[in-house]
Amino acid sequence: MTDTDMRNEAEDSGPSGYAAARLRLLTEETRPGPPRRAALAALTDDWLAGLFAAAAHNLPGASLVAVGGYGRGELSPRSDLDLLLLHDGSAPEAVAALADRLWYPVWDLGLALDHSVRTPAEARRTAADDLKAQLGLLDARHLAGDRGLTTALRTEILADWRNQAPKRLPELRDLCAERAERQGELQYLLEPDLKEARGGLRDATALRAVAASWLADAPREGLADARRRLLDVRDALHLTTGRATDRLALQEQDQVAAHLGLLDADTLLRQVYEAARVISYAGDVTWREVGRVLKSRAVRPKLRALLGGGKTHLAERTPLAEGVVEQDGEVVLARTARPERDPVLPLRAAAAAAQAGLPLSLHAVRRLAAAAGPLPTPWPAEAREQLVTLLGSGRPTVQVWEALEAEGVISRLLPDWERVRCRPQRNAVHVWTVDRHLIETAVRAAGFTRRVHRPDLLLAAALLHDIGKGWPGDHSVAGETIARDVAGRIGFDRADAAVLATLVRHHLLLVETATRRDLDDPATVRAVAEAVGTQGTLELLHALTEADALATGPAAWSSWRASLVADLVRRVGALLAGEEPEAAEPAAAPTAEQERLAVEAFRTGGPVLTLRPQADPLDEDPAREPEPLGVELLLAVPDQPGVLPAVAGVLAVHRLTVRTAELRTLDLPDGFGDATVLLLNWRVAAEYGSLPQATRLRADLVRALDGSLGIAGRLAERDAAYPRRRGVVPPPPRVTVAPAASRHATVIEVRAQDAPGLLFRLGQAMEDAKVRVRSAHVSTLGANAVDAFYVTALDGAPLPDDEAASLARRVEETLRG
Amino acid sequence: MKLITAVVKPHRLDEIKEALQAFGVHGLTVTEASGYGRQRGHTEVYRGAEYTVDLVPKIRIEVLAEDDDAEQLIDVVVKAARTGKIGDGKVWSLPVETAVRVRTGERGPDAL
Repeated sequence: MTDTDMRNEAEDSGPSGYAAARLRLLTEETRPGPPRRAALAALTDDWLAGLFAAAAHNLPGASLVAVGGYGRGELSPRSDLDLLLLHDGSAPEAVAALADRLWYPVWDLGLALDHSVRTPAEARRTAADDLKAQLGLLDARHLAGDRGLTTALRTEILADWRNQAPKRLPELRDLCAERAERQGELQYLLEPDLKEARGGLRDATALRAVAASWLADAPREGLADARRRLLDVRDALHLTTGRATDRLALQEQDQVAAHLGLLDADTLLRQVYEAARVISYAGDVTWREVGRVLKSRAVRPKLRALLGGGKTHLAERTPLAEGVVEQDGEVVLARTARPERDPVLPLRAAAAAAQAGLPLSLHAVRRLAAAAGPLPTPWPAEAREQLVTLLGSGRPTVQVWEALEAEGVISRLLPDWERVRCRPQRNAVHVWTVDRHLIETAVRAAGFTRRVHRPDLLLAAALLHDIGKGWPGDHSVAGETIARDVAGRIGFDRADAAVLATLVRHHLLLVETATRRDLDDPATVRAVAEAVGTQGTLELLHALTEADALATGPAAWSSWRASLVADLVRRVGALLAGEEPEAAEPAAAPTAEQERLAVEAFRTGGPVLTLRPQADPLDEDPAREPEPLGVELLLAVPDQPGVLPAVAGVLAVHRLTVRTAELRTLDLPDGFGDATVLLLNWRVAAEYGSLPQATRLRADLVRALDGSLGIAGRLAERDAAYPRRRGVVPPPPRVTVAPAASRHATVIEVRAQDAPGLLFRLGQAMEDAKVRVRSAHVSTLGANAVDAFYVTALDGAPLPDDEAASLARRVEETLRG
Repeated sequence: MKLITAVVKPHRLDEIKEALQAFGVHGLTVTEASGYGRQRGHTEVYRGAEYTVDLVPKIRIEVLAEDDDAEQLIDVVVKAARTGKIGDGKVWSLPVETAVRVRTGERGPDAL
């Protein structure tokens, strides 16, 4: 056969015929989606098979193989053709000629071609060196020529993949992680790359590869649908742009949406985000499963027997919170956990996971989603605190939140979330969807918790500040109403709800005013002061503004803006300080019971205490399990040094955490001389399980006061018994002297991460500094402790400025310790 | 052609933009800038610590204009930027050799 003959033969089914059919297929609007991709692949198959038959002249020992996306039979309009010409190595020159006759027609049509010519041995070697080549070959599909050659390669490649999975899957995981780092997350980006971003098509392919290794499998619900959706969008993107691009740029989104018959670009993005969430969540779960399987294989049975004394390997479970344990690097529910009777459990488990920096196991989230009952309205205090703890955990918050979100737990807890979920923002400054932006803001805000007196309000405001997006009109105005409503439902009191509403209403006020108004104009400063109202709100708004801007995108915050906003805050703060009355030291009259205890303490000369389950005035449903853990501790003890560290220490030893603590001195009524009694009114909660008896607490307290109970040693012992966890890295503690807060005492403010024994160490530090604690107001807001101590010198006078400052420094050093 | 550059107080931007629009200027470039002039910054007390702010936030506005309009344009900017207080900023102009509109390739005054 001559060269000309061959050409003529190829012409019939040849390039022009194929090109016309291809064009017809792509412009035909009737059947887009999977049928079109399959039809395009089938059409291309036939054409290439024709080319091969015409060019190969029945050359033995050669075959044409489709790999990668083409191997899966999914061709998008502008996809590359991934082709492998496989040969047995017996006739290299003939194969080279064959390759020329195959590749040139493809190039001539202007199609992108990814080609290689290899023997089976070479193909295996390449796969062993290059993970991407390996992944492509997993989808190898025979097109033409020697079918036996292709089948043998497929079998070998799959067998290699299974054999080497323990080595290569971690490689693949690193590859995916590195790509996610570079490309960002498809589900939150406003101009996402459908293929490369985390949760995109490449990740879906990686999951197929994991499944092909037989080592682990992805949760399959919705995965195929999600993949199909992304492929459909990519088809439309290729057709509307006429380019082989995978980036869904802002300017293309309207056209792509129209092409897919969707209402608008927002609908399009929302569908893309939903699909990406399914894929990236399936990826998270799958990779964790891979890690677990590999870890359990890594420890050899023999070695395990040696270490474990021959017993079968039981996963170690470490308690994290009531009903929540850690197992194998994941957070799972304890065997005793009863989600159906414990509505706070989802939040408690999430907060514990985020604090420990661990993921929530898929099984636990599903069980919580299915079984946990609704929270009462308003939420009990514990639920709100756990939410704040979850939000305040920094970076780990994101994955825990995502896991809850994926199973619909968040929308059930906060119905208003549904509207911002997966909502794109048409704004060049933003890089995230609204929901992710809110979480990112909380993550940033967690770093500012030491700058404000109410970290819980800061974190809640971060979560809610854009909740009004998706409603008509100004989102700050709509958000104000929603925030007030949500704040009430999650159990903030009326005053706090008002502060939250103000923060949401004015979350753009500082930036807008600072960059656009004249700060030298007193009217500007006055207007902001009026909107904000108090110093405390101003401080919160300042932190929220910065967190919001940092979470928006690289363009939203700069030292330029920071300096303008700081200047405005300083001016407004000065104005508010001048107008605000001096905060009075709270001194409510003692109740009859407090007085009775005080008198008894004076008589016996030792501590007297009562423990009483906290009555929840809102809870009138007797069928519901009472909130089991909170109790009120009322304690009176004759005034003496060392009371605060002793009480705090005894509670810590008994595994009780202090939620709030009030301490004050009480002058006894007439007839008891001028003796004073210290009165402590504390709200405490058991870390796990039940409360200790009052008599045991009292006995230990007596020993602690006379020094025969070594609290510091006991606490250190207990700390050492716990495994060190990565967990979150909280911002460092801050201890400051509050200026001019009281005429009678020096006020030391402490803001720190709550930890077992924190109050004990604080009390001890003040005791060591030879100051008297006259009263203390301790509150734990989520994972943050915000404490104020009114201290005096031993003679009862406030400390001089320099001594106060050095005390604050000493206490801070102790905490950093 | 001239390039007119103004470094002014941030809060005057809206006024300047409006004034330029009224004058018939269609495009301008704004950047966030910091700097100091004769006032040499100032001293501030923030969170108890005293420190010197030597760089004050400003915005930098750049406008291209035809030679004949330049002087008038400068006056428009100066008028809109003035508050009468220290730190109001500066406006200057430079000769421009060429300007090209990227999309169309138009050159010179046509590109404005």
